[in-house]
Amino acid sequence: MSKLSINRPSMNKQGAQHKQAFDEPLWWGLFSAGGVCFAVILPAVILFIAVLLPLGLLPAEALSYERASALLFSVPGFLFVGAVVCLPLFHAAHRLRHGLFDISVGNDTLNKKLMYGGAALLSILALGIVVAGMLG
Amino acid sequence: MNTEQISTKRVSTNNIRTKQVSVKRYLPDSSAEPYWQQYELPVDDSTSLLDALNHIKEQLDSTLSYRWSCRMAICGSCGVMVNGIPKLGCKTFLRDYEGEIRIEPLSHFPVQRDLVVDMEIFLEHLAAVKPYLIDDNPVKAFDPNAPETYRQSPKQLARYKQFANCINCGLCYSACPQFGLNQEFLGPAALTLAHRYNLDSRDHGKKQRMAELNRHEGVWSCTFVGFCSQVCPKNVDPAAAVNQGKVEAAKHTLIALFKG
Repeated sequence: MSKLSINRPSMNKQGAQHKQAFDEPLWWGLFSAGGVCFAVILPAVILFIAVLLPLGLLPAEALSYERASALLFSVPGFLFVGAVVCLPLFHAAHRLRHGLFDISVGNDTLNKKLMYGGAALLSILALGIVVAGMLG
Repeated sequence: MNTEQISTKRVSTNNIRTKQVSVKRYLPDSSAEPYWQQYELPVDDSTSLLDALNHIKEQLDSTLSYRWSCRMAICGSCGVMVNGIPKLGCKTFLRDYEGEIRIEPLSHFPVQRDLVVDMEIFLEHLAAVKPYLIDDNPVKAFDPNAPETYRQSPKQLARYKQFANCINCGLCYSACPQFGLNQEFLGPAALTLAHRYNLDSRDHGKKQRMAELNRHEGVWSCTFVGFCSQVCPKNVDPAAAVNQGKVEAAKHTLIALFKG
């Protein structure tokens, strides 16, 4: 072991030897769910909102202000925002955290807090707007 | 047939040509820094990299050090980097390489001399996951009148068979960027063997192994790069095993949470 210590990088993911990673299944679960949403739901959303609608290929009133707010500020709208904003945010946060470790930037404990914390804050903001719209 | 006749016969089967092989030498007794050395050697269509290294050692330069044993991809001793990719010397043929061939010791391991690396850390990780059958019942004395064997159906065998082909050559550790960044990471082969025994119907050691797998240095350090599965000379697919291990570790955590 001692022979190897010189070759070991100073930055380890965790110092403790047999510490169970109780948080990792949660991050990995959110990452997996976000990956599915990214791959399946987001392309359809981009196709409708960012391609077909601006090109005028959908009826003009399809997403009129009244219709859009009625759709968004509802329970299905809440789930929609969770699937297209929150879960992909956690997916991206997980990738960024591991990407930063790969290029040896910062330390993993701090990166974890920043990335997942950022994803959680933005998620609360997005869902909060929906809830405020539902109540208002 | 003497050895000369055999080698004449082998070489005469197809076209002989000369190839240049560069080997990264490291001789700590005479020089603190590693350096490159070129060798010109005759090759034919059947010359493996291990044949080439043996030729260098026997005919050109007896100071060259490397490991080898079986020459048939089962002992896992002759792993080296060939043009930056981890390969088994005996399973790599010079006919597949045009131009320069650069041979280096396996990445991510400390080099002891020339192509010989120290695999201690890999062996430690391997031992940590208890890669052997763990049974709750103590082994009974053998009774020839009523011999008892472990029974297993073909279906039960099929669950883990692919993951049982590992020869501990360490190529996947050289391929793994996460092991390169953090040597405490248990790594592809150890995690795969842990999964292999967890899937075995005769084994009862899953609980002990999960404690190792469910660490930050266990399955969770893997970022599914997948290069381990590409370089594996036995097509074990460690990347699949490690990621199935993540599902198992997640289940293990959930169960632990509810049981308290």
